[in-house]
Parts: sequence; C-alpha cells; structure tokens
Amino acid sequence: MDIFTIGFWLVSIVLFIVSLVKSKQKTVDAMKKSKMMMGSMIGEIVAIIFLIGIVLTFIPPESIKSVLGSENTLMAVIIAALAGSITLIPAFVAFPLVGSFIDIGASIVPAVAFLTTLTMVGIVTFPLEKKAFGLKFTLMRNALSFGAALVIAAAMEVIL
Amino acid sequence: MKPLQMIRKNKLMFAVGVTYLALLVTMPEKATQAFGNSVYYLVEMFQVLPVIFLLTVVIEALIPKEMIIKRFGEKSGFMGNILALVLGSISAGPIYAAFPISKMLLSKGASVANVVIVISSWAVVKVPMLANEAKFLGVDFMAARWVLTVIFIFVMGAVMNRLVSRSSLDAIGTQLESDKLSINSDFCVGCGICVNMAPNIYEISDKKAIVILDTVLPAHHEIILATVKKCPTQAIAYNQGGIR
Repeated sequence: MDIFTIGFWLVSIVLFIVSLVKSKQKTVDAMKKSKMMMGSMIGEIVAIIFLIGIVLTFIPPESIKSVLGSENTLMAVIIAALAGSITLIPAFVAFPLVGSFIDIGASIVPAVAFLTTLTMVGIVTFPLEKKAFGLKFTLMRNALSFGAALVIAAAMEVIL
Repeated sequence: MKPLQMIRKNKLMFAVGVTYLALLVTMPEKATQAFGNSVYYLVEMFQVLPVIFLLTVVIEALIPKEMIIKRFGEKSGFMGNILALVLGSISAGPIYAAFPISKMLLSKGASVANVVIVISSWAVVKVPMLANEAKFLGVDFMAARWVLTVIFIFVMGAVMNRLVSRSSLDAIGTQLESDKLSINSDFCVGCGICVNMAPNIYEISDKKAIVILDTVLPAHHEIILATVKKCPTQAIAYNQGGIR
C-alpha cells in the first residue's frame, strides 16, 4: 500500500471511532445504509474489473496510445467527453477503468474529460432533470457542464 | 427459475464470466493474462473499498445534514455557495437523487446558483470517492481535478443564476407535490387574468403567473375556483384537498 492509501485508512478509522463514541446508534444505522448501497454495487465492481483485464489483454497498449495518447488530443478529448455523457457507470468503477488506460499510455486529458462528463452530464437522467427543473435549466446545466469538462481537462494538461 | 433470476440480477457478471470461459477454451494463455491483469486492479480496489465504506458511514453519522439544509435558505452570497458545496459533496447517491432535495431547497428560497452548485457537487465532488480517485489516478491528479472542478462549479452556478430565473423553476413540477395551488409555467401565457381577479393570490413574475400565497385558506376557495375556470390555458392546478 502506498503512503496515501495508508493515510486515508488512518483518517477514516479515526473518524469512525469518533463517530462510534459520539453516537453508536447513528453510526450503526449509517453502516446498514452504506452496506446496502455498496452490497448492490460490489458485483458490478468485480465484473467491471475483470472486464478491464480482458480489454487490457486484447487491446495492445500501442493502439490505446495512438487513439487516446497525446498525439491527436482534441479528437480524443471530444470522444471521451461524449462517451462520458452517454454512459452510466458508477464513478466508483470509473476510476480503476480510467487508471488502467492511463497506465498503458492514454493521455490524461481525455481521461479527465471522461470522468467529468460521466458524473456531471447526464443524457440518461435528462428527462428526470427536465421534469424537476424544466427544459431550459436542464439544457443549460448539461451544456455548461460539458464545456466545463473540456476546459478542466485542458487545464489539467497544463498543471500536471 | 432461481438461476435465471440470478443471471438477470447480475447480467454484467454473467456476461464477463461467459467471456472468460470462452477464452479459456479458445485461447487459454490470453485468459490467464486477462485474469492476471484483473487481479492486480482487484487487489487495489479492495485496498480502498473499506475506506470508502467507512468514510460514507462517518459522514452520514457525524454531519448534521438537516442543520445545513435548515440554515441554507437564510444564508446567501458566498457563505450560501459554500454550504451548497458542502451539502452536495457529503451526500451519497446518484445525481438524480439530488433533484428532489434541490427542489425543496428552491422552495425554501435557495438561489438558482446554489441549486446548480448542489447538483454539480453532488455529482462530482464525493468525499469518499476522493480516496478512490487518489488510489487509481494519483494524489496530484485527484487534487488538481478537485480544485478545478470546484472552481468551475461556482462559475457555472453564477452563469446559471444570470440565465435562468428562479420563479420559472419554482413553478415546474410543483403540481406533483402535495401543494394545494400551483401554476404550470409550461402552459401559462402570462395573460394576467388571474392576477387581476385575485392580486392577493397571484403575481406576474418574468412573464408568467406565480402563486404568492403561502397557505390556501377556505376563504380563498371560491375565488381560486373562479380563476381556475377563467385561465385560458388551464395552467392553474388546484387540489381542493380537505376543503370540500
């Protein structure tokens, strides 16, 4: 385990003890709720990770580099952002997926665009959002989020 | 019947399992390679899963969400934006779970900017997920993306505040709730008939009629019914509830 994972472990264990001491009942209730939520996701998580294994075996790193590498970034970013907008996989499993692509040579710019649109832009949830806030709000928010994803991705390239 | 149900419940898992079996038969060396690749990520995942679980529990148990929501309406300006960001970041669940709460905040007087901030941060800035992101993409990546995203969420809030009027959001979908009286802004043409008939109940805001009454009293019953009848587009929804 790297130092940051250990750090996260320590922080969360300490906070958990604090929470137990402060209110045992609340903590137990929260655990039940979280267990339900994560339990329903764990099958999907394991399945996607094994899918990553297949993808990495069959798609040679050179071809990922040529498509998602830094050569033709603009096209790659737009494709990644679009892919993120239409897919509905939990952010949970998106991180190992994206991490695996970067490990074998994908540029981080499309990766950031994908992660950001995946969570903020929702084609699938569009009807629900429209029902709650109307067409104008929903269109604007999703369009702005899409634009923001592209700019954030570009800024990441400059920073990192 | 039971195995079929199991398959339907775990479609993805089943599909991946079948693929591995097929690979094992046709190209065993590829299957082992794929399995090896997966185990590496699986181990990484299980190093961070308990942390995500614990953080989710701690946030749920320690942070008084109701208190944040309660103070939300009163606070405006930058402090309100920060509260919105905190509320979104500590909440669990998919983005659409944020919609009803955001509607509720809106009815309590939250600005459009803050609603956008809640929805966006709900989607992206999950505190337990930061551990996950740092694990697979590095701390630098996580920190940089977090800072940039927060900045852009605030910018988006400000832009949306200028582009979308609050009152136009207020009216949408309220007829689905238990409200007794509401106006569907999709249908309202802003003719002003209802406002002329009952200025103490309706008001024109941004070219649409809105309800300004907090509670519908029995005394209002007759005049409301009259406006419902007069409305040219039948945009006024009146749930007579227990009055009748």
